[in-house]
Formats: sequence, structure tokens, C-alpha cells
Amino acid sequence: MILSDLLGSDALEADGRRVGAVVDVRLEISGAPAQLLAATVVTGVLVSPRSRFSTWGYERRGETAPVLIARLQRWLHRGMFLVGWDDVELVDEGRVVFRGGYERRDPMLPPSPRT
Amino acid sequence: MKKLFAVALGILTAIGGFVDIGDLVTNAVVGSRFGLGLAWVVLVGVVGICVYAQMSGRVAAVSGRATFEIIRERLGPRAGLANLAASFLINLLTVTAEIGGVALALQLATSVDPLLWVPVAAFGVWIVIWRARFELLENVTGLLGLTLIVFAVALFMLSPDWGRLAGQALQPGPPADEPVATYWFYAVALFGAAMTPYEVFFFSSGAIEEKWTEKDLAKSRLNVLVGFPLGGILSIAIAGCAAVVLLPASIDVTSLSQVVLPVAEAGGKVALSFAIVGILAATFGAALETTLSSGYTLAQYFGWSWGKFRKPAKAARFHLAMIIVVLIAVAILATGVDPILVTEYSVVFSAVALPLTYLPILIIANDREYMGDKVNGRGMNLVGTIYLVIILVAATAAIPLLIVTGAGA
Amino acid sequence: MNDETVQRMPQPDPRAPRGRVLDAHLHLLDRQVLDRDGTPVTTVDDVELDGIELGARIEPGSPAPTVAAILTGPQLPMRIFGGHAPARRRVAIPWKLVASVGTTVRLGVGADSLDASWVERWVSGHIIGRIPGGRHDPE
Repeated sequence: MILSDLLGSDALEADGRRVGAVVDVRLEISGAPAQLLAATVVTGVLVSPRSRFSTWGYERRGETAPVLIARLQRWLHRGMFLVGWDDVELVDEGRVVFRGGYERRDPMLPPSPRT
Repeated sequence: MKKLFAVALGILTAIGGFVDIGDLVTNAVVGSRFGLGLAWVVLVGVVGICVYAQMSGRVAAVSGRATFEIIRERLGPRAGLANLAASFLINLLTVTAEIGGVALALQLATSVDPLLWVPVAAFGVWIVIWRARFELLENVTGLLGLTLIVFAVALFMLSPDWGRLAGQALQPGPPADEPVATYWFYAVALFGAAMTPYEVFFFSSGAIEEKWTEKDLAKSRLNVLVGFPLGGILSIAIAGCAAVVLLPASIDVTSLSQVVLPVAEAGGKVALSFAIVGILAATFGAALETTLSSGYTLAQYFGWSWGKFRKPAKAARFHLAMIIVVLIAVAILATGVDPILVTEYSVVFSAVALPLTYLPILIIANDREYMGDKVNGRGMNLVGTIYLVIILVAATAAIPLLIVTGAGA
Repeated sequence: MNDETVQRMPQPDPRAPRGRVLDAHLHLLDRQVLDRDGTPVTTVDDVELDGIELGARIEPGSPAPTVAAILTGPQLPMRIFGGHAPARRRVAIPWKLVASVGTTVRLGVGADSLDASWVERWVSGHIIGRIPGGRHDPE
């Protein structure tokens, strides 16, 4: 499946209620070891209740500058949460459905090394 | 001399923003109509481009990423494409004007028809981009462009009434005999010219051509602090000369010979030849800068291999794009259209390109994944944000002013 | 070890990441792809994920999808304007060729060995290489 088709899909609960849009996909480089890099697996989807478009990551990282832009971005994408892939029941064209009783997790990224 | 060469990149970048053919004529026009009344715009522009060129140079040195790569990464492919289209058109129109300007300067020197000089000028621009090393290119054109200082010298030699000049500069608002809209149109045009996006595209890509790293941050700052203020001074000197000689005599600036008239009056043939050399070097340098910028922006958006430090065969699409740009420029000039008039309209595209260029720079200059601990300080962020607002205001006002004033008629 | 020590030792969090964590849109899309020598190859126009079947219910415990390839070429206008290119027209760089992900994506191989760089090689061989001086270093 192509990533840009998944991005922007409606995020739905098991009973069909829309809770937001999928704005990003969380990955982890921790799968089966390979020649250069370990396999990169999908560990979850990021859902934004109020926006459908791309963010600059202010709500997921510790960056706070420039102040005006950071505040505006945090406000635009407020309420973002992470849903683990094991809580995803179904992926279809334009929508992603979560299992009943899914957990809303903290979207913060762990600090990444600067390369 | 070596120290002078160290700041050649800054000087060459500034040439494209302050004294290329479009600016030479605009500054003379402004001087002949408003005196030094718009000098404050040049100062505002100099501070703005210093702040943002410094940021983009730092980003390039620390993270190795040139400005247009960042634009696409932050704004996404759609907004990035909008900026690319606008910037490409600005570059193309400017290259056309500069090659035309080189031909006009050669006409001043030799009285041979400029249309005959156009293919020579175009070939000259291309062969330098094709074969000359980046350092050679920037050192020669930067150094020769400095002969434009003759305009500042001429201003002193004309023994102007300094009090009257200062009065014009400090007077708020337009003079009585010029419409307000025209005053603000030229203000926006001068500001847009001082902060033209291709300056940061060229400066950041040049930083990578020169292989600057974190250790060269002081050098980057020096380039900015020497180059752009110098460009601003030259800009004001040209306007000042026009204010002293052309304004009182109500001489309209319609061709390059009026631009150099004050210099000839002040210092005779010797000064005039310096001015012609300076104009030739500045327009040639600006032609190089904008042609390279068109290559840089396309290559960085699409992810092509680029750079004069690579063999052309290793940066093939980059060189092909620039060859096509030069050919289109020659074709436009062959139709006989006035290239300088054409650049007045490029202010329209600046309205799109300016905000879409400077916003990503401000954001990435704060991103620790790119910059480590070399992120912006709070002061820099404050000034940067203020200028972003000014840029948005100028961008919104540009097109209405263009229409209302008929491009400053 | 007595009971007190056991209680004071923190339990390992089963959901703690076991490798580098990144977000696909934020960290991968529209980034530069550089080859082993640092030469730009393309930008990440899109990403292909393996292991997601449209419309099929995902059984708990089934393996997670993985990143299969970087897409470029015809995928860019699709991404900007919408629509789909057929699978055989896709230009892909297999993800297993990626050596590291930072502010750019670095491959472990040279650009010339990739399908994705065929346009550059064509322009280089047929146009630029034929102009005198094209194969020389600048002086």
C-alpha cells in the first residue's frame, strides 16, 4: 500500500464513529536484521482530531521555537494521539478502523540522535 | 587580497540583490523621482536579507542542506512546486534581463548594437558555468563588481547639498508631486529586490559548493555582514547620484546612459569607464547567479545531483536545465522585448516566492535534528518573525500596487 | 535478593522502542536520498508499505507491515494531483538498500546501480557527455 493513500484517511472507532484523520504513520527500525539496516516496521498511526494536513512535528517533539509558529502549530493540531498497530482492525480505501477498547497513547517521539 | 576573496560569495550574492541591471535602473529611477526618500526601504531590506542569508548559510554549513531542499521538505511537494514555479519564472526573467544588461553595457562601451552582443553574452555566461571553478567565478565577478564604488565616489565629487539629501531621506511619506501608490509600489519593489529568494538559494548552495562546515560559521557571518551592507550602500549611492543630477533637471531614466550620466558628470571619462566595467561585472555576475539559481532550485526540488564541484557528466540534469534556461533567455531577447521592463513584472512572482521561501528557513534554523545546538537564539527568532510579517504584508500588497500604478508609471 | 529489592527494580516496559523511532511523513517524505558517496539520487516522493491488505480484517498478533521501498518518478505527480500509476510503472528503490536515516536517507550502494537513476545516466551519456568538456572537472 502506498503511504500517501493511507495519510489523510478517516480514523474510525469500531462502531463507525469518526475520531479524526490519520496524519502520520509511526515506524520503528527494529525488525529482522538485514544487511544494512534492520527491517522498518509500522508500530502505529497518528490521529489528529482537528486537522487533516501535515504538521511540522511541534506536538510530537520538544521543539518550542520560533514561539509564535510553535504555539500556532500546537493549537492547530491539538488533541493528537497515537494508536498502536495492534489496535488497528481494518484498513480500507480512505479509512482505518480501530478495535473496540483501543488505547489512545502519547504521540511524543523519543529524542532522536542527530545524524 | 585573500581576505577579500573570503567574502567573495557574500559580495556576489549581494550584487544580484542590489545592483543587478533591474536594480541599477530602479535605483536611478527612484533617485530621479523621489530623491533619497526611499533609502529607508534599502536599509530595512539589508537587515532582512542579512538575517535570513545568515540563517540559510548556517543551515547549509551545519546540516549540509541547501535552502530549496528544505523548502520542499517542510512545505510539501505542492507548496514547494508553487514556489519552484514562481522562483523559476523570476530566475528566467532575471537571467533574460541580465544577459540583456550585459549587452547594453557592452553597447555603452563600444556603441555596437546590443542585439549583436546578446549571443556573445549568453555564450560567455554559459561557458563560465560550464568550465570555471566556483571560487574563480565568484572571486573575479565579485572583485570587478566592486568597481561600482565609483558611484559612491562620484556622489562625493558632485559636492551635493548633504542637508537636502538627508532631508529627503528622513522625510516620511512621498513627496508632494508623486502619487502615494507609486511611492509604495517602489517601496515594495525595492524591498522585494533586496530580499529576492534567489539570493538565499545562491548563498546556501554556494556555501555547499565551497564545502563550508560548522567550523566556517564565522566566515559565513562575515560574508553576510560585508556583502549585503555593501550592496545597500551601492544601491543608495546610485539613487543619490540620480537625486543630485537627474532629479533637479527632471531627467527621466529610460536607458542605461542616464544611469551613468551623474558619474560622467562627476569624474569624466575615467570615472565613466570604471562605471561601465562595474556595470558589466555586476550584470554578468548577476547572470551567473540567477542561472545557477535556476539550476539549484530545480535540482534540489527533484533531488537531482547538482553542484559546480562535480563534473558536468555527474550532474547532468542540473547542467541541462541551465543550458535550456540560457537558450530561452536568448529567444526572449531575440523578440526585441525590453528585458528591464519585463523584470518589473517579476515582482508578481516574488509575492508568491517570498513567504514560501523564508518561512521554512526560519523553521529549520530552529530544528535541533538539523542544527544540533546551533539553533537560532531568541533575538534572531524575534527579528526573523518580524520580518516574516513584513514579507507577508509586502507580498499581499505587491500585486494590487502593480495593477493600480501600472508598474510605477 | 530480597523482596524489597525486587520491588524497587523497574519493570522493563514491553512497549519501549527497541530501535530508532521515526514518523513516515515527518521524517521520510520529501527528504533527499543520497547514495553511498553522498551524491543525490532523488527525493522521497512516496513510500511503499508491505503487508497491508485493503478491506481485510487484521488478526490480533499478525506481523506488522514493513516499509518496502522508496517511490519516485511518476509517483510525484500522483502525490501532488492525486490518482494512481499502475504498479509496473513505479520506480522504486528497495528499502533494504537504505543504510541510514537522518536528515537525509543514505543508501549503501552507488547511484549507478539503481533503476531509479536511469534518467540521469541517459542525460549524462547522451547529452551532457557529448558537449566538449562535459566529462572533465571544472578548472
